[in-house]
Amino acid sequence: MFGGVTTVVTGVDVAKRWGSTQALNGASFSVGEGVTGLLGANGAGKTTLLGLILGLHRPDVGTLDVLGHDPWLAGSQVRAKLGYAPEHDALPPDVAAHDVVRHLAELHGLPRREATSRASDALWEVGLGEERFRPVGTMSTGQRQRVKLAQAIVHDPELVLLDEPTDGLDPTQREAMLGLIHHVGADLGMHVVLSSHLLEEVERVSNAVVILEAGRVVAGGGMAELSKADPELVVDLDRDDSDQDPASRLAATLAELGAAATASSPTRVVAVLEGPGIYDVVRDALADGGYSVRRLQRRTASLEEIYLASSGRGAAL
Amino acid sequence: MSLRASDVVAGDGNARIFEGGYRPYRGIRLGVGHSVWALARHTIERIMGLKRPARYKVLPFLAVLIAYLPAIAFIGIVALAPPGGGRRILDFVPGPGRYYGFITAAIILFATLAAPEALCPDKRSRFLGVYLASPLNRTTYLLAKAIAVGTVLLLVTLGPPLLLLIGLALQNHGPNGFSDFMGTLGQILVAGVSLSLMFGAISLAVPSLTDRRALASAGSLLLILGSGAITGTVTFGLKGPRNVLALALNRLPFELALRIFTLPGLPTGPEREFGAHSPPLSTAVVVGASVAVTAVAGAVTWWRVVGLEVTR
Repeated sequence: MFGGVTTVVTGVDVAKRWGSTQALNGASFSVGEGVTGLLGANGAGKTTLLGLILGLHRPDVGTLDVLGHDPWLAGSQVRAKLGYAPEHDALPPDVAAHDVVRHLAELHGLPRREATSRASDALWEVGLGEERFRPVGTMSTGQRQRVKLAQAIVHDPELVLLDEPTDGLDPTQREAMLGLIHHVGADLGMHVVLSSHLLEEVERVSNAVVILEAGRVVAGGGMAELSKADPELVVDLDRDDSDQDPASRLAATLAELGAAATASSPTRVVAVLEGPGIYDVVRDALADGGYSVRRLQRRTASLEEIYLASSGRGAAL
Repeated sequence: MSLRASDVVAGDGNARIFEGGYRPYRGIRLGVGHSVWALARHTIERIMGLKRPARYKVLPFLAVLIAYLPAIAFIGIVALAPPGGGRRILDFVPGPGRYYGFITAAIILFATLAAPEALCPDKRSRFLGVYLASPLNRTTYLLAKAIAVGTVLLLVTLGPPLLLLIGLALQNHGPNGFSDFMGTLGQILVAGVSLSLMFGAISLAVPSLTDRRALASAGSLLLILGSGAITGTVTFGLKGPRNVLALALNRLPFELALRIFTLPGLPTGPEREFGAHSPPLSTAVVVGASVAVTAVAGAVTWWRVVGLEVTR
């Protein structure tokens, strides 16, 4: 189980080496229902992991379970239940979008008649109903990404693997694509693994995340669960001529009262939320010290902070 | 009893409108065999330029047309020859076994065009990764491609001699009697399938080494014609063994066809040296070489496709 829900993919100590490159190095993780972000810098092992989930490679070490099967041993059986949209622009440019999507539906076992109607449904679903008979090569980057999504969902898979689905999209197209991914995960009943190196988009649509760093899983779990780790209370203060550094003064007061607090700037104090009593301690310190309070907010960690903390990186992806 | 309007339109308040929209698929799902056939059919359409702009149809249809033209011409000659007075003209018309000699170039051209179209675009565009994310694996993917190439090659290895047989038979110029007709039909089927298999294997081997269509076509053509030039040089120029000629890929498939039709093989030496009847290659050598060439070419293709990297 994963956060109280069914586990879709489980990996235990999975390792995979390509020549001298250790792509995955003992990765252990779980993917549950809904949309799961697979986050990591380029070269972190995301695409290799997708290949292992698809059963295209055999792990050197470790075990992998996808929808109850070992994907290497039951490759065809597993892949029949998976949808996959690759990172690169792989669609044949001279073929109509509808023909491409129908063809992929047939490959996944749908009879021709059903494949034809499902292809239309899938293309309508991704917003390309009117454009479905256009050759893929005449479409914009955003439309081609939608065709890739349509071919990944046309056979109604249980799990959809999306490799960098917003690659090359402008902000408007990216927004629309993220909306579609959320729709697939939330409304169409398919589980989604969204592989991306962009923190913001994973945070936007995912309800869980697996963070890869140099082939290892450095953090994983539900977004709510991860962001609740070590919550803080942030106090923003006003300063005046008589007190240029109110934050240091408040931090010292809180420390005297036994609260773990630091001044992150002359006007900001960050206190670790250690039990419900901390609110009273902060309130009393603010009242007694006569501080002018601009904002008092309980803050949870952003995905970027989780990533930076877990990967030990000092900069964003 | 009459109904009032309110009786018809007014419900109990529980009526709801369900949007059609996207629905889960609850229908049947066919197995890997269906996937193989779906890919083979799609590949046949691609090779022939079907469902693609007109410019993609020109070359394949031209090659097919070239293969059928002599058959149509021969049937026309038989039809137009004066009764009883056209013996010399009619002697010129070949039977299905000798017909391959007239369409060698068309078959080679078609094979070197078809196979690269089947394999190269998938590798170049990396659509292969999408195929291998389906129930297909590398072996069934290759099987589908081989079926597609073999099937389209039947258009030029089986169709024209079949047309010639039927055309001649309808004009009473074909085999004598039903049993001869059926025997010739069987020979055509075996020869057509054998040539399709051999040319399919040879023409798939080169595209498996590259992802560029033009390079693969040129390479296949060079391999087929170059093998003829090299084996000819070894046999005639360097006085090497005659059996080396069995490795001439522009000759071997047609030698095999002649043996299937129980016709004498092609001469293996210059007329000035051996006279009009230079000793042909033995049937065992021809069959052995045909099997070996097909197996080696198939193994090269399989080894390359199995080793292709996707989603690394």
